[in-house]
Amino acid sequence: MTITNKVSLKSVNAGNTPISDVPNAPAIGAVADAGDGTTATVAYTASTTGGAATTFTATSSPGGLTGTGSSPISVTGLAAGTAYTFTVTASNSTGSATSGSSSSLTLASVGKYESISTTTVGAGGASSISFTSIPNTYTHLQIRGIGRTADGSTGGNLATYIRFNSDSGNNYSFHQLWGNGTSASSSSGTTQNLIYTIYAGPRQNDLASTFSGQIIDILDYANTNKYKTVRTLGGHDMNNTTAQRVAITSGLWQSTSAITRIDVYLESTMAQYTQFALYGIKAS
Amino acid sequence: MAITYEPIASTTLSSATNLITFSSIPQTYTDLRIVWVFKSVSSGNYPFLRFNNVIESTFSYTTLYGTGSAAGSQKSSNNNGAYLVSYAAASTTDWQMETIDIFSYTSSNYKTILNRYSGSSNFVSAGVNLWRNTSAITSINIQFDSEGNMPVGTTATLFGIKAA
Repeated sequence: MTITNKVSLKSVNAGNTPISDVPNAPAIGAVADAGDGTTATVAYTASTTGGAATTFTATSSPGGLTGTGSSPISVTGLAAGTAYTFTVTASNSTGSATSGSSSSLTLASVGKYESISTTTVGAGGASSISFTSIPNTYTHLQIRGIGRTADGSTGGNLATYIRFNSDSGNNYSFHQLWGNGTSASSSSGTTQNLIYTIYAGPRQNDLASTFSGQIIDILDYANTNKYKTVRTLGGHDMNNTTAQRVAITSGLWQSTSAITRIDVYLESTMAQYTQFALYGIKAS
Repeated sequence: MAITYEPIASTTLSSATNLITFSSIPQTYTDLRIVWVFKSVSSGNYPFLRFNNVIESTFSYTTLYGTGSAAGSQKSSNNNGAYLVSYAAASTTDWQMETIDIFSYTSSNYKTILNRYSGSSNFVSAGVNLWRNTSAITSINIQFDSEGNMPVGTTATLFGIKAA
């Protein structure tokens, strides 16, 4: 405990009006991670003796970052991964007294891009992959995946499509720009019951061990004032052995509902090792 | 939730060089992403990648591009690297950016690579490469096909993306 400007006896000013004693030091309490990667909370207990404090200030070490208020005090601007201790200083117009140091606290890093769920198709294949109970705590969603169909023919170019919240009504539209290595073309669809995202690529008997790559961004998915916009990049190359394609797509779901479920389909059964992962992206 | 998009390594060139290498890549992620901001010191250079220092004709690509007046698509097979731009060589005057996604880089399947190119010169493109190799990717070389140099200020950052 450090005491500064401590006055042991009650002071009296020139007019004989008593003024406050210097506060006694508060007792340091628990420190905790506030969960945002930059803030700690510091608890203390004010002394019941000494002068009444008018301000309590928590101070970090290292860094000397401070916060004021009643217990628990928030100290912001800290760096995740750094070990901090804290003291709390009680002060009034007469002086101040500082607690001992807290226990050490290291803030956990908070991601801005987080994995929500992943599904990998097993040996039996799958008709679709569903992401359900999607939290509404992110700004955007991203689906990343590799795809291959178990369709028994050759020729590639089976599409991937998605639906939201199990809505199979004609509430979707899309525009796509794609190239097959020889020419570029564009296609579109309105009043659709799904959004074609990209072509999923290889079929079972196409070039072995080959999967498409897909990135699907779903923007502002929890906003209840906007229709939902989707953009994609995807493609598959098969060393010119059969159909191959690269494409970009924009899609629209004409609904103001927050997206809580996404179903991903291929136009044929998903082959083993097809994998789609859902990520959440935070704006701040 | 765990952080799933992490920088693994980053390079900013303080002298011109013809090669940027990311080596000893951790095998703990699902996908890799490279963000590369570059231009070429000399003309006629096409940017591409190689993996694990393997030089063999096991790459192929399909690209889509737009010039501002027309769109087109190109393909090529049995290449000795993952070509990131097919329509025109890297600009010597304008900084350009490639965003490169390498999917399932530790899997025992062939590797699919998506890339987006944004250049202020005269075109935009997207592409897919296939590397017909079942080895896990442990190192990546970023370079130009004719060994042309990248200038001071070129940056390349490797990120790891981890699925739950």
